[in-house]
Amino acid sequence: MQVTLKILRYNPETDAQPHYERYTLDAEPTDRILDVLEKIKGHEDGTLTFRRSCAHGVCGSCAMRIDGRNRLACKTLLQTLDTSKEITVEPILGLPRVKDLVVDMTTFFDNYKKVLPYFINDEPLPEDGRERLQSPEERERFDDTTKCILCAACTTACPTFWADNSYVGPSAIVNAHRFIFDSRDRAAADRLKILAGESGVFRCRTAFNCTDACPREIKITKAIAEVKRAIITGRLD
Amino acid sequence: MSFKTASEGYVRYQGLGNWAFVLHRLTGLGVILFLIIHVLDTAAVYFSPALYADAVSLYRSPVFGLGEILLVLSVIYHGLNGLRIIYFDMVNPNMWTIEVNRKSVIWTWVITLVLWLPAAVVMGSHILEHLGG
Repeated sequence: MQVTLKILRYNPETDAQPHYERYTLDAEPTDRILDVLEKIKGHEDGTLTFRRSCAHGVCGSCAMRIDGRNRLACKTLLQTLDTSKEITVEPILGLPRVKDLVVDMTTFFDNYKKVLPYFINDEPLPEDGRERLQSPEERERFDDTTKCILCAACTTACPTFWADNSYVGPSAIVNAHRFIFDSRDRAAADRLKILAGESGVFRCRTAFNCTDACPREIKITKAIAEVKRAIITGRLD
Repeated sequence: MSFKTASEGYVRYQGLGNWAFVLHRLTGLGVILFLIIHVLDTAAVYFSPALYADAVSLYRSPVFGLGEILLVLSVIYHGLNGLRIIYFDMVNPNMWTIEVNRKSVIWTWVITLVLWLPAAVVMGSHILEHLGG
């Protein structure tokens, strides 16, 4: 079958403004958007620029807006889209464009760092000197939020983040949740204090764009609600 | 990032959740605009009764009548959608799935229309009577 991709192109060295370019080519319904982008880059226009690495939905490099929704190009099959019309491919929104579909992720990772996204426990190790144990139930408590691959699809789908990128965003809250509800971690209070602040969870407007955008199907809005409740009630149950 | 980025997202990002959010924001702005005008014109009673009388006669025009019908829509939608979000946020986060959210958005729109249409018919017929008279 034939598909037409309408791609937002931008070369900072020659273009004052981004513009759309259309590419029509043969493809299979089982091809992914990433496959089509590779074909365009390989055979039609070598200047097309996008990020990709693993091509298997794990590295989080190829998040982009596909037909108006944030998706990973490597997980979006043509047969899940309306190929009778042009398929619009644009960079994720709310981060500075670098070139074509590539954006500058610095702000995203700065926000990520704000929530102390690492294990903190200064208590002595257990007597046997080995790992800190937890029950399967305690592990299950934060299982969903361990799946984040930091692709930024959620954060750049968030209306609050579009308006003000000092808001930490859904991804940072998901990664804070992963440690806040970990029974072995000891810095939940510090993270909750950060997230209770001006740039924290209460800027969430429950639009659900993040949950819809997540390629890992993390229940992001639920995780944000649990952090909100932990702040309000002071409990981690 | 900016007003421009937010506007692009509001208008062009797809999905029921985004549309429910954008409508919530627009209706909220509409209601606050009404409240500002309302407070200002009512305040005019105190310092300039003639200005107040002018304002009230202006409000009887059909354009403002249509505005009032939209105001009722805004208040109903903003209120109902606000209650929906409070319920999700504060009462039952376990309902936070895409499917439940989609259904709740559609139900909010249905209930809004059911509540608004009778009011719109009554208010619209008053405008028509006023024009006919």
